[in-house]
Formats: sequence, structure tokens, C-alpha cells
Amino acid sequence: MATLLKAKEVTKIYAKAQRPSLNKVSFDVSEGEFIGIMGASGSGKTTLLNVLSTIDTPTDGDIWINGVNLRQLRGASAADFRRDNLGFIFQEYFLLDSLTIQENISVPLTLQKLPPKKIESMVRSLAEQFGIASQLNKYPNELSGGQRQRASAARAIVKKPSILFADQPTGALDSSSATELLHALQEANQELHTTILMVTHDSYAASFASRILIFKDGRIIKELCKRKDDRREFYESVMAEISRLDTER
Amino acid sequence: MMNNFSIAVKNLKNNFSFYSLYLVSVAFVITIYFTFTSFSMNRVMLEKMSSDGRIESMCRVISVCLMIFVVFYMSYSNRFFLRRRTKELGIYALLGYRKSTMLSLLTFENILVCSGALAAGLVFGAILHKAIVYGITVLLNLTVDNSQIPFFNLKAIADTIRFILLVVFVMVLSNARFLLKSSLMDLVRFEKSAEKKLKFRKIPALSGFLFIIGGYGLALDIFRGTHSIWMTFGFYPTGLLTFLLIAFGTVFFINSFLPFAVQVSKQNKKSFYTDTKIITMPNFVYRIRSNARTLIMLTLLSAATLSISSVMALSMYYPIAAVSRMAPSELEFRIEKESQVDNIKGLVSEYASADQVTFTQTDIFKVTAEADHLPMEYSVGTSKGDADNENILRTAGFECISYSQYIALLQAQNKEAVVKQLPVLNNDECILVKYQPNADGSDETGTVYQLDINGNITSLTVCETTLNNPISFANSIGTLIVSDSVYGQMKESLTPENRVLSINGKILEKNEDLYEAMKQALGDSPYFQGNSHRVHEIFSLNSSTFLLIGFLVVLFFIATGSILYFNNVSAITDSRADYEILDKMGYSEKKIKKIIRKQTRTFFFIPFCFGLLDSLFATIVYKTGLMQNLLGNRLSLYVPTLIAIALTALIYLIYYQLTVHSCCKTVLHR
Repeated sequence: MATLLKAKEVTKIYAKAQRPSLNKVSFDVSEGEFIGIMGASGSGKTTLLNVLSTIDTPTDGDIWINGVNLRQLRGASAADFRRDNLGFIFQEYFLLDSLTIQENISVPLTLQKLPPKKIESMVRSLAEQFGIASQLNKYPNELSGGQRQRASAARAIVKKPSILFADQPTGALDSSSATELLHALQEANQELHTTILMVTHDSYAASFASRILIFKDGRIIKELCKRKDDRREFYESVMAEISRLDTER
Repeated sequence: MMNNFSIAVKNLKNNFSFYSLYLVSVAFVITIYFTFTSFSMNRVMLEKMSSDGRIESMCRVISVCLMIFVVFYMSYSNRFFLRRRTKELGIYALLGYRKSTMLSLLTFENILVCSGALAAGLVFGAILHKAIVYGITVLLNLTVDNSQIPFFNLKAIADTIRFILLVVFVMVLSNARFLLKSSLMDLVRFEKSAEKKLKFRKIPALSGFLFIIGGYGLALDIFRGTHSIWMTFGFYPTGLLTFLLIAFGTVFFINSFLPFAVQVSKQNKKSFYTDTKIITMPNFVYRIRSNARTLIMLTLLSAATLSISSVMALSMYYPIAAVSRMAPSELEFRIEKESQVDNIKGLVSEYASADQVTFTQTDIFKVTAEADHLPMEYSVGTSKGDADNENILRTAGFECISYSQYIALLQAQNKEAVVKQLPVLNNDECILVKYQPNADGSDETGTVYQLDINGNITSLTVCETTLNNPISFANSIGTLIVSDSVYGQMKESLTPENRVLSINGKILEKNEDLYEAMKQALGDSPYFQGNSHRVHEIFSLNSSTFLLIGFLVVLFFIATGSILYFNNVSAITDSRADYEILDKMGYSEKKIKKIIRKQTRTFFFIPFCFGLLDSLFATIVYKTGLMQNLLGNRLSLYVPTLIAIALTALIYLIYYQLTVHSCCKTVLHR
């Protein structure tokens, strides 16, 4: 499969005296992959997500998404790039409280200037896929955490981004809501071929990915790949790896 | 161990940008208050400006209004800042602070802010007071011994400090009440508490709309003159009804109609599904839920401010504009003794050479007339009760001058434009000078008057009526301009009723010395009129009123502007996460700024537009119902109202730009 994202020796240093938050990180992501990023707090996961998503700029190194070097993007062009290529899901959902769920999911499509009828039909079909069709006219504070996060995921996926960044999406959810969300993401990955890059602390959530990059002190220290599409087996190998890393600390 | 005082200082230091506007606005309010207090305690000026104690009593009334207003404004902003800090207070509570400790922390902060504002307010207030005193002395030509007016009036300082202490005390009480009422849970979760769901109710929405339309309709009804509801039911009851309709209408309109209208307009999918409207429209409905009360208060406040300023501008300007009718010539007097003419010409020549001045003598002939309907001017002032000066009653009749004299006077008065518009007058025609337009809108044009010129009946048809009287009302009322040949007939058979000398010339304007000298020479004649003198007199009489109400208006503006600022900045700061998310979704900085501008604009627009409409209707009612109509419905009369509105718009615009700037800085600052 073609390479969608390429990171080459990406370094991020916030203050001169401090050690780098990202230290010459290089990796590739192919189209349609579901990547998990794991690591302890302060290992550089969030910094990586920020520089990959044009929110922050690396001190050194290059990143290409869809063949575009992110270094060339500034202000308005970065915004346009995010509009056309990237989707986001956050731990805190970040739905707009004043908008209904229907309106929340519609926002990225209005930004692409799609006609209202098309927007409505796209929102409805995705809401059905994510099991929130009956909640469309409600406001975020009328929904459960799981429903909100699914709405947030629907909002990220509805515009069919080249790549979806998920920052600990299950962090605030109970186990059944988390499972529902992960299945929804997996479905989006398999059926809509959405490329996903998910940061998580949770080995169970990570086991839904096809490949996992484990970070420590701003570097990738281990890469795990799922074999034979067996999530349970993959979960166990992730757990084993994490506990091995824990004992090495 | 940090004590309360040092925590308070640290808090203020760390949140300086947030507090700076609060500090500035409180300093502003104190400046105005101190300026006013210094002014009202300035015996030297008050005695110069009025001798009857009118200004003193007005000062007392306004100072009460000011005090109420300052207390209201400062407790509003205090409450506002308290709400913004509930989470912080929650943390103190979790750390084990007692409520009394928190209260003393808040009190320390308040004392610090108020002391800073007080120091600034006293200095700026003293400067402003001096500037106002200087302005008035120049404007009214007063001679004031400046050394008698201290820069700092100690009594005024003591008074201001006492008052600010009282305000701080009120704020402490209100903070204590807030702290006592809220539980720890309230404090910790206060900011996160979910908004109430807004119900879209049709009946209040519709009644809001209907009330407002009804109120404005009732205001416009005053144009129907004698048939209007205002005349049938009385001015004050109808005024009260209009006021109530508009006030309640505004409440329902903002509370129910606006959110309802926005909700309905969301049905128009084509316009709703755009990248900015999908954010701004729901956001407006959402914000109305928690801000309706503030918005209503601001709307009513700006309606009051604008109405007061435009009515005041009108009532200040109207008498000055009306001077052109009360005293059309620069100087004018009735010749009661032949010697007066040479005397006065001699006096004038001391101030101006002959080629700079025109003397126009007019002989006025009084004739009686018959007609189906004689105009009100024919008999006005002939009986006690309708005459301005009941000692000098006039006899009924038309006071006739010739067409060529009329033109000569208009030219001397520099009214070339009026001369150009004049019709050619045939021998059987006349022009009637009106005192004021008829209340029912009728006009005498076409009416035939049978003039009795010493037994000869001459029929004249009114070919035009005019408000451009060439001679003051003191010397001629019911003036009829007749052709030169009819005037010749009168001259042959009648003796003039009055002879009037009009003196014009730019050089004579604003010459109070000449006026006084002439007044003396004419023995205080009630028939002596001076244009510039009259304007000066009106300025002296009204400037204090204007100034005092000006204090109130400025204060209202500061309050409205600052409340709008605080409200918007806080709403946008609270939803900072929303803008971050928009940024990540691909909204450019430009688009986010556009959204912020739109959201802020709505909140500025509503109070301003309502204020504007309310003040326009209030001005119309005031002008039509309560003011004399000497000048007819000239558009130029509304110029001061327009200036007042333009100034208000400018102040709103400045506050709006300031607010948008702060909001953008808060949201886009990474």
C-alpha cells in the first residue's frame, strides 16, 4: 500500500536546556493502516500528535502527509490542509455545546461548502453507523459520555479525512462505551479505509490497531505488529511488552 | 505563610490584563463622580451660572441618580468577577479556607482595586473639573477668579472617599451573601453547571413582536394631530402606555422572539449550512439563555441613554434654531421717537462703518379683514391668556408690509435662498407669514381675505404661506406681505401702526457691548430684539442643564460599553476550547475572527438598534407633543439628534473594536 504519512528524523525541543520531547523520530504510515501510539506520560506522544497535525512545528526533521511537506504550511494553508486532510478525536470529546449533535457533525462539511441536502444525508448515514441516529437533535449535555465520543468520532470521520488522529479517545469512557467506540473506529478503518493514528495508554484500546509504536523519552523504542488479525493474541503480546517495559524502568 | 493580603496582591498581579479594564472602568466612574461632586461644591461657578438655586437643586437630583448608578454598576461588575472566580474559590474551600477567610481575601482585592481607581479618579476628576470650568467660562463669557477654585476640593474628596467606602461595604455584603448561599459543590462545579434548556414558546415570542410594533405604532399616531390617541386620551396616559408597551415588548422580544426567530430561520438550510452560520446562530440562542437579562438591561439602558441625549440635543438646539424666527435681524427695534433713529445709528457707527451695516426701516400698516376663516395669527395676543406679555395686548388685524420691503429685509438677513424661491406677487395676492404650521396640517393658501383699507375693501388671495418672518414677533405678528401697489394704497390712506428699524451686518454679531448700549438708549424697550444676544442668553440658561445631564449620559455610556465588553470577553473566554476545536478542524484564523466578530456584533447590535429606534420614536413624540413648532418639520432640526446618534455609534464602535480585539487575543493566543 502507498505511504500516506512519512516522518523523517522529527525532533522537537521546547527549551534549549531540556532534553528533546521528540528525538529524531522516523516512521511511515501506509494508507488504510490503524496505528496505535503508546508510552508513559511525557514520552512524546502528544507532541508527536501536535506536530503531525500541523498544530505545532518540529524543531528539526520533515513530515509528509499525502506528499505534502508540512514544513511548507503556514497559517491559512495549514488550516486548509487540516480542513481537507485531517480529522480529530479527543479524550474530552470537545463537542460544541451550543450545537445539536446533527449540527456538530455537519460543521466540517459546511467548511467544505457541500450542499445542505448532501450534508444531511451524509450525517444521517454516519450517525446510523455509529448508533447515534436517534440523538441527532439533542445537545451534547443531554448525551452519555459514550454517545458523545461516538458523535465526536462521527464528526471526525464524516469528511473522510486522509488520516484520523485520536488522542486517548477512550480515556474518559466506561469499558462498554470504550468497546463500542473502538469497534466503530475499527469499522471505519476497515469499511471506509480511514487511516487512523491513535494515542492511548490502554493496552486493550491499542489492541484494535494493526501496528503499535511504543515511545519512551521521545524515541520509538519498540514496534509491534498484529499477525493473523487476532485481536486477543495481539492484546496479550501488547500486555506482555508493556509489563516487560515496566520492569525495565 | 502567605497571608490574605499577599494572596490578594498576587492575584491582582497575575490577572492584571483581566483586571485592567475593570480598574479603568471603575476609575472612569470615579472620575465622573468626583468631577461632578467638585462641580456641585464649586460655589464660585454655581453662583455665576444661576442665582435662583435652580442648578443646586438639579445637582442634588443628579447626584442621587449618579450614586444609585455607581452602586449598581460597581456591584454588577463585582458580581461578574466573582462568578468568573468561583472555581478558584472552590479550590480555596477544598484547601480548607473558611468562608470568612475567603470573604476577607475578596475584600482586600476590592479595596486594592478601588484604592487604585480612586487615586486615578481623583487626579483625572480634578483635571476634568478644571477643564469644564474653563470651558464654561469661555462659552458663557464669565469672569471667574481661578485662584478661588482649588485644584483639589477637600470636601469633595472626603465626600467621594466616603461614598466609595460605602460602595465597598455594599460589595462586601453582596459577596458575603454569595459565599453564604453557595455550597462547596456549587463553588467547584459552578462554571460547569449545564445551561437550562431553552423552550421556544410562540405566545411570548409573538407578543414581544406585537408589543414593540404596537408601541412604535402608538408613537407614530401622534402625527395624526388632534385626532390622535394622544390628544383623545391625554398625552401622559398614552405616553405611559407607549413606554410600557415598548419596555415589556423589549423584554419579550429579546427573551423569546429573537431565539424563536433564529430557531425558525435555521429551517432555511441553504443559509444555515455555511461554515460561520452553523456556529454563530446556535451560539446566539445558547447565549441568550444565560444572558437575556443582561441584554435586556443593556438595551433599556442604551435606549434611555440615547433618548435622553437626543431629546436633550433637540431641546438645546431648538430654541437656538428658533432664534432665526424670534429675532430674524441681528438687531431690531420699534421706532417710538424719531430721535431714536439717529441716536442708534450714531451708536452703531462706533462699532462698524456704514458699508458694513444695513439699516432697513419698515412701516407696518394694520388692517382689519373679513373672511370665512381668519388665521390664528390674525387675533393672537389680543386677549389675556394667550398673550406672552399680558401688559401689552395687541388689537386684531393683519400687519402689512410690502413685497419689496420683504425682499430687502430677507437680503439684509442673508436669506438669499428664500428670496430665490419667492413667487412673483400680483396685486390681488398676498403672502401670509405663519407663527407656526397649523396643528391639523391645513394651509391657508388659496384663502381670500377682504382687507378693509380705510373703508375700501380689497380682496387678496393667499398665494403662499411662509415661516420666514422678516420681522420679530415682538414687533409684528400676523404679518401679511402685499404687493407694492396695494401697500402704496395703504400708505396714502393710513398711518403706520409701527415703524421698525432692522439692523444687519456680520460685524455686529456677538457684540454684547453694542446690545447693552442700545438697550440703555432705548430705555429697556420690550420691542428691542437681538439675534446673537438671544443665542447667548439661551446658552447661559441651558448650558448647566446640558452639562449636568451630560455627566449622566457619559456614565451610562461607560457602563453599557464596559458591561458589553466584560460579558463578551467572558463568554468567549469560557468557550475557548470551542475555538481550539474549530482551529483543529481547519477553520483559518481569519474565519475564527469572523465568527468572533459576528458573535460579538450581535450583542452590540441589539442594544444599539433598539436604543436607536426607541430614541427616534421618543424624539418624535417629544418634538410633536411637547415642543412648540415654530420651525415646522425642518429636517435640519434633527441634525443634533443625528449627531447624538452618530456619537453613540462611535462610542459603541470603539467598545466593539476593543472587545473583538480582546476576544481574538484570548482565543488565538497560543
